[in-house]
Amino acid sequence: MFKAEPMRRLVIAASKEQFEPVIREMYRHRVFDIEDFVEQDEEGYEGIKIGKPLEGVSETSGELIKLRSVISTFGINSEDFEAVPQSAKALYSRVESDLPAIEHEVEGLTGIRSGLETRLKEYEQKINIIEPFVALPLDLSLYSGYEHFTVFVGHIAEDIEIPFPCEKYFSDAVEGNLLVVVVGNSQSEDTERLLMDASFQSVPVPVEEGQPTGRLAYYRGEIEKVNVEIAETETRIASLKEKYATFLVACNELLTADVERAEAPLRFATTDETFVAEGWLPTDKVENLKEDLIRVTGGKIFVTEVEVDEVNDDVPVEYDNPDFAHPSELLMDIYARPKYNEFDPTILVSIVFPLFFGLILGDVGYGLILLLMSMGLRKYAKGDTASRLFDTLRNASISSIIFGFLNSEIIGFSLGYEPLLFSRHLSIGSNAGGAGPAAVEMLIISGWIGILHVTLGRGLHIRNILAQQSSGMHRSRAVFGQAGWLFVMWGILMMIWSMFPIQFMPDFTAMSVVAAGLNGAGVFGALMILLGVVGIGQENVLDLIEIPTIISHVLSYTRLVAVGLSSVAIAMVTNYISLELIIEPALENISIIGIFVVLAGIIVFLLGHTLNTALGLLGGGLHSIRLHYVEFFTKFYQGGGRKYNPFGMIKKFTEE
Amino acid sequence: MVAESISVEAATALAAGYKAIGAGLAVGLTGAGTGLAELGIGAAAVGATAENKDMFGLALLFTVIPETIVIFGLVIALLLLF
Repeated sequence: MFKAEPMRRLVIAASKEQFEPVIREMYRHRVFDIEDFVEQDEEGYEGIKIGKPLEGVSETSGELIKLRSVISTFGINSEDFEAVPQSAKALYSRVESDLPAIEHEVEGLTGIRSGLETRLKEYEQKINIIEPFVALPLDLSLYSGYEHFTVFVGHIAEDIEIPFPCEKYFSDAVEGNLLVVVVGNSQSEDTERLLMDASFQSVPVPVEEGQPTGRLAYYRGEIEKVNVEIAETETRIASLKEKYATFLVACNELLTADVERAEAPLRFATTDETFVAEGWLPTDKVENLKEDLIRVTGGKIFVTEVEVDEVNDDVPVEYDNPDFAHPSELLMDIYARPKYNEFDPTILVSIVFPLFFGLILGDVGYGLILLLMSMGLRKYAKGDTASRLFDTLRNASISSIIFGFLNSEIIGFSLGYEPLLFSRHLSIGSNAGGAGPAAVEMLIISGWIGILHVTLGRGLHIRNILAQQSSGMHRSRAVFGQAGWLFVMWGILMMIWSMFPIQFMPDFTAMSVVAAGLNGAGVFGALMILLGVVGIGQENVLDLIEIPTIISHVLSYTRLVAVGLSSVAIAMVTNYISLELIIEPALENISIIGIFVVLAGIIVFLLGHTLNTALGLLGGGLHSIRLHYVEFFTKFYQGGGRKYNPFGMIKKFTEE
Repeated sequence: MVAESISVEAATALAAGYKAIGAGLAVGLTGAGTGLAELGIGAAAVGATAENKDMFGLALLFTVIPETIVIFGLVIALLLLF
C-alpha cells in the first residue's frame, strides 16, 4: 500500500552445466526479473562475456518463424482462444510429425492463391488494353505484323485529315476517341509528326486474334473462373484454420517458451566454465525460488542476496495495492509508473477519480447507462488493459449514480424531491422561475476541493523528500521550498478571508485593523506569503514565476461544477425541446401528422441524450483525470519507474 | 432624455439581456482561445503518440492544459447568470 512491492536483488552463480535446469526453473517460477549483463572494459571484468544461446536455438527459431507465418496467414490471434492446456510432451511429438505437413499444405495453398491472384491481374490488364478497340469492328490480328506499313493506334481529341495515301478509322464510341492510321513506311515519320501536333496519344496494341468484343467476353469469363477458384482455395485455407488453430497457438506458445529459454544466457555474464545471473524478485518469492534452484541443481549452485540501493539501482516496480485499486493502475501507467522509492498514489486516484467523475456527471440516468455499458463491454473485453478500463468506468458510474440521488437528477429531470446537497436544476422550460442552480455555493465547495487536493499533493512531496533524501542542509531546503508553496497558498486565502466574507469559508473580516488597512488575519496572511516566497526562492529563484499557478490550479477545480452544470443544461434543453416544444403540443390535438411529430420528438430526445452521454463520459473522465495529472501529480509525482517484467510466461495452452 | 424614456421593467430586461450576452461572450471567446491553443498541441500530440504509444499520457496532459481557459470562461458565465 502506497509503496511499490518490496524487491530483493539476487545473484545466482553456477557452472555452465547447470544452464538448462536453472533457466527452466526460473522460467517456470516467473518471478525473476533478469538484469541484462553489459560487457565492460573495467578492471575486474576481464574474461567475463555475455553468454551464448543454448544449443538448438537456431533450429527452434527457424521453426517458430515458419509457424508464425502460418499463423499470420490464418489471421489467428491467441487472445481469441479459451485456455485449454495440452501436455507439452504430446505437443512435442506432434510438432515433429504434424507441423511440417501443415506448413507444407498451407504453403501450397497460399502459393496457389497468389498464382491465381497474379492471373487475375494479368487478365484485368489485358481487358484494359483491349477495351478501346471495341470501338472499331476490326479483327485484333489486323493491327500488327506488317512489313511495309506502319500502324498508329491511339486517342485523339478529334478526327484529322492525313495528306498521304493511308487507311484511316476513327470512332468516338469510346472515351477519348480512337484513331487508327495505316500508312506506308516511307510516310510514317511525317504522319507521326502530324499526329503529335494534334496531341495524339498512342495506346499499346494487344497481341491477340479475333474480334475485340469476343476477346473481352473471353477474359471476363476467365476472371470469373479464377475468382471461383480463389474462393475455393480460401475455403480450403479456412477449413484448415478451423482444424488446426488450437494446435498452432499451443505450438506457438511451446516454441516461444523454448526460444526464450534458449536465449536467456544472452542476458547472463559468463566465463569459460561458469555463469552469473543477476536480477530482481519480490521479497516473498525469494525463499521459494532459492529452494527450487538448489533442488534442481543438486546443490551445485550459489545463490545470494545483494543489498539494494533504492536511489541508484534501477529497481523494477510492481504495484502493491488492495483489490479495489487495481483498475486505477491503468490510469497510473498511462501517466507513468511510480519510481521504486516514491509514494504510490494509486489508492488515492482510485478513490478520488470516481468522486470527481460523480461530481461532474451526478445523474442517475446517465450513471445507469454507463454502468450497464461498462458491465456489458467488460464481458467481451479481451486483455488486461480493456478490463481495467471498464472496471474504472464501472466504479465511476456507480459514483455518478450516488451523486445523482444526492442531486435528485435523472437524465435532466428531478427525481421528485429537493436535492439533498445543492440544486443543479437550471431555469429552463417548465422549470423557469425556480430557484436556479446553487452555482456560487458549488463553486466555493469546488474551490475547497482544489485547496485540499493541492495541499495533499504538496504534503506528499514533502513526505517523498523526507523518505528519499538523507537529512542535511539540502533536504531542509527542499522541504522549506515545498512548504513555501503551501504558505503562499494559505497566505493568499487568509488575506481573502480577512477582506471578504465568503460562504462556507472562515470569516475574519470582523477583526480590527492592525496595519496598512489589514486586520490581524490579513497581516498574518501577508507574512505567510512573504515567508512562502522566501521558501520558494531559496530553492530555485526561477520557480517564483510559477507563483500565479497557485491560484490558477486551485481555480481549475471549479471545472467540477462548470462542466457538470453544462452537462445538466444540455440534458434539460433536450428534454425541453423534445417533450415540451414538440411532443406535448402534438399530443394535445392528436392527428396523423401529429404521430409523426411525436416520433420526431422521440428521435430528438434519444439523439440529444445519446450525445450528452458521450459528452458526459468524455467530460467526466477527461476532466477528472486531468485534475489528477496536471493539478495533483505535478505537485509531487515523479514516475518513470521500470515495469517489473519477470522472466517466464503465463501459459495458456501448454502444461509441463 | 434616453434615461427618462425607459421604464424600470425595460431596464431590468435590458440588464438581463446584457448579462446573457456577456456570459455568451465569456464562454464563446474563451472557447475559441482554448481551441486555438490546442490546435498546435493536439496535432503534435497525435504525432508523438503515433510514433510512440507510451507518449499517450503525456500527450493527453499537454493537450488539455489550455482547457483551463475555457473553464474560467464557463465559471465567469455561471457567476454572471446566477
